[in-house]
Amino acid sequence: MADTERVESTIKGFLRRAKKSEDGIERDTALYADGIGLDSLSAAELSAVLEDELGSDPFSQGELPQTVGEILDFYADSDTAPESAAT
Amino acid sequence: MNAPTADPEPAAHYDRVTDGWRLLFGDSLHYGVFDQGDEPLAVATQALTDRMIAAAAFEPGLRVLDIGCGTGDPACHLVRTQDVDVLGITTSRVGVDRASARAAADGLADRATFEVRDGTANELPDESFDRVWALESSHLMPARDALIAESARVLRPGGRLVLCDLIRRRDIPFKEVRDRRVDFATLREAFGEARMDPLDSYLALAEAQGLTIEVRTDLTEATLPTFDRWRANIAEHRDELVELLGADGLDAFERSTHILEGFWHDGTLGYALFAASKPA
Ligand SMILES: C[S@@+](CC[C@H](N)C(=O)[O-])C[C@H]1O[C@@H](n2cnc3c(N)ncnc32)[C@H](O)[C@@H]1O
Repeated sequence: MADTERVESTIKGFLRRAKKSEDGIERDTALYADGIGLDSLSAAELSAVLEDELGSDPFSQGELPQTVGEILDFYADSDTAPESAAT
Repeated sequence: MNAPTADPEPAAHYDRVTDGWRLLFGDSLHYGVFDQGDEPLAVATQALTDRMIAAAAFEPGLRVLDIGCGTGDPACHLVRTQDVDVLGITTSRVGVDRASARAAADGLADRATFEVRDGTANELPDESFDRVWALESSHLMPARDALIAESARVLRPGGRLVLCDLIRRRDIPFKEVRDRRVDFATLREAFGEARMDPLDSYLALAEAQGLTIEVRTDLTEATLPTFDRWRANIAEHRDELVELLGADGLDAFERSTHILEGFWHDGTLGYALFAASKPA
């Protein structure tokens, strides 16, 4: 599976389990109030899921991501891309 | 991830827990204020209601909006003791049914009425209430600015908003939320989705709506014994509570009492009350 697809499916799997809508989620969808509606706990939970599944997570490195695209970009950077062996 | 087993959304959560919570909290679904420290929970929950009454400065005949009315105990008490008329609103249908039955049984149905409405978009007419009362419901309304704006909107000039609730007393860095996410998820499972804000942020929202702060009181110390009393109620009613909340639900609630007590002690969370008036 391509890395971006894998990141997307990790995010969508998380949203399903958290009973949040996955409809209409685009690159520029905001993660918090006016978008997916994550609060700090659900953002922390997403951060932990990303780390468990992909080996690293953008929430634990400097600025918190604000959009879905910022999460995808974090993994698109070769230094932080999920290891393909894990697919 | 430790996903909650039940819907954390407030209306669904309250529909599910209302009956069990009566055994844990008593008729009033809120914390107690312990002036002595060893008084029974029912005395202390009444003492919190009394603090709100003092801050509200009621007069006979006033019209009161009770936002997040629970099962109607505070509203019926206000009608009886303050000679006011109360519209109680909640997003929980079960809450409205229980509260309406309670008012009817007490012979107060003409002065205490209850409707399903959202405190952050109440659709009630402008300037139609003399007092807005929000007893421990605001932490369940993410749109805190909308709650305060709606409260100010429905108040008549000279009216007063009185609110008490759990508050956050320090910033909780993201890393700490992440490290303690299991604890925070336990609180969400037991109490539904909630957000605690600093008292100052409530006061700023009220002032931004043109209200004047009349009363502000920190009740953190005074509410601390509440957790111990909830645990005593668990011990006393365990079998019935398992029946009503499920073993997992009750377990989450019991663990929550310890988590919250720790947050009270370490200055993370607490309890406060304020009143703010609308210029006449
Ligand atoms: C902790 S209980 C307090 C009940 C009551 N005030 C008492 O002291 O007994 C919180 C209440 O807020 C209600 N609530 C939650 N979200 C609400 C909303 N958006 N609008 C109105 N009520 C809401 C719940 O259904 C519940 O009745």
